[in-house]
Amino acid sequence: MSIKTAFSSKTSLPEVVSDLQAQFGDFETNLVVFFASSSFASDEVAGKMAEAFPQAATLGCSTAGEIVTGRMLTNSVVAMAFDKQSIKSAKIAVLENLSSDVGVALNVFEQNFNRPMSEMDPKQYVGLVLIDGLSGKEEQVIDRIGDLTNVNFIGGSAGDDLKFAATYVYANGRSYSNAAVLAMIEPVSEFTFIKTQSFCPLSQKLVVTKANEAAREVLEFNNKPAAVAYAEALGTTVADVSNQFMHNPVGLVFEGEPFVRSPQQIKGDSMFFYCSVIEGMELSLLESTDIISDTKKAIETARQELSGISGIINFNCILRTLELNQKGLSDAYGELFSGAPTIGFSTYGEQFIGHVNQTATMLVFR
Amino acid sequence: MAGKIKQMIDTIINQRAKDNAMLVGVIKTKLMLKGIDPGKFTLQSPDDPTIIAKLEAVIKELK
Repeated sequence: MSIKTAFSSKTSLPEVVSDLQAQFGDFETNLVVFFASSSFASDEVAGKMAEAFPQAATLGCSTAGEIVTGRMLTNSVVAMAFDKQSIKSAKIAVLENLSSDVGVALNVFEQNFNRPMSEMDPKQYVGLVLIDGLSGKEEQVIDRIGDLTNVNFIGGSAGDDLKFAATYVYANGRSYSNAAVLAMIEPVSEFTFIKTQSFCPLSQKLVVTKANEAAREVLEFNNKPAAVAYAEALGTTVADVSNQFMHNPVGLVFEGEPFVRSPQQIKGDSMFFYCSVIEGMELSLLESTDIISDTKKAIETARQELSGISGIINFNCILRTLELNQKGLSDAYGELFSGAPTIGFSTYGEQFIGHVNQTATMLVFR
Repeated sequence: MAGKIKQMIDTIINQRAKDNAMLVGVIKTKLMLKGIDPGKFTLQSPDDPTIIAKLEAVIKELK
């Protein structure tokens, strides 16, 4: 597998792009994935990256922080380039309006690869998804993709360095908002996925008895006002409960694995989440564990499964990044990725099978 | 009446996974995320019309 990474922390975009080009040298790339700090103007970064690599398909998004081999960064651009030895083929499609039919974007792949999405082999193809992180529509998009194909799509929600003003996704020179960029890739060698979230389920259950699903709002847990039920489960008061959000989110637990739903805020008696919560769902209260240890184990498991790793794309929740920063563990986290070419970014949400929070979803190449 | 929910879930899983064990896990996870817990229903489970309507919608959506 031939995968190269590059990064630049220069402050002017022309210098950043020159820096990346110099690092890639004469590498004959057919696909470039990049993640760029929101400090760079979205239209310019999309255009300049496409100009810099005219022979390649390019896709990326704005971030809340970047990750590259061995390091966590800010105010930078990170890029991963593939060539014919690593990627047989790749196609990018843009879902320009997140309310429109996902099938239209997937039709682009059907035409390109000359077979229906429903018949594509999930061991032969893999999908990337980058989506506007302020859209609130991630779950609809990833759910609909899952309806239409068994090919696994993995990805993250674009960020904007915690400004929560505007996030962007990039494809072949253009910048989009209220959009998703999808890529179908046919790698040369095997690949696998990591979905790691550092939480263990507690015994307390919270059944969603009333919800406004479109707004990601839970009005009632266990037939009680949501905030009251959550506070009771934690043994604290509604006034203090938001202090527990980061360490005690809730999760849909399936076969022992949590799919995390992170609380965002309390308004009145309602709780708002960063993720859809469906009426009738039985959620478990979660308690945080050790991000470094859990992520290290997950990478090692993937390494053993593939008998080696040649590249990782890491979609790492901003809430994990903030926790790592608070605990002085950012360097330790970055070092976990020193053993293989890696890029990633701090996301406003992660996608793998569904939309989740406080998780790192990773595409791992052999 | 009983058992219809389990039968519908099994039909969805069989049609999408086609005996692929890895896909069985993924399809079950997708159902969970849609609000239907496949592990909760047996052939003795009563035919809850709300769940059945949800599954009918899922069957329509799935290709």
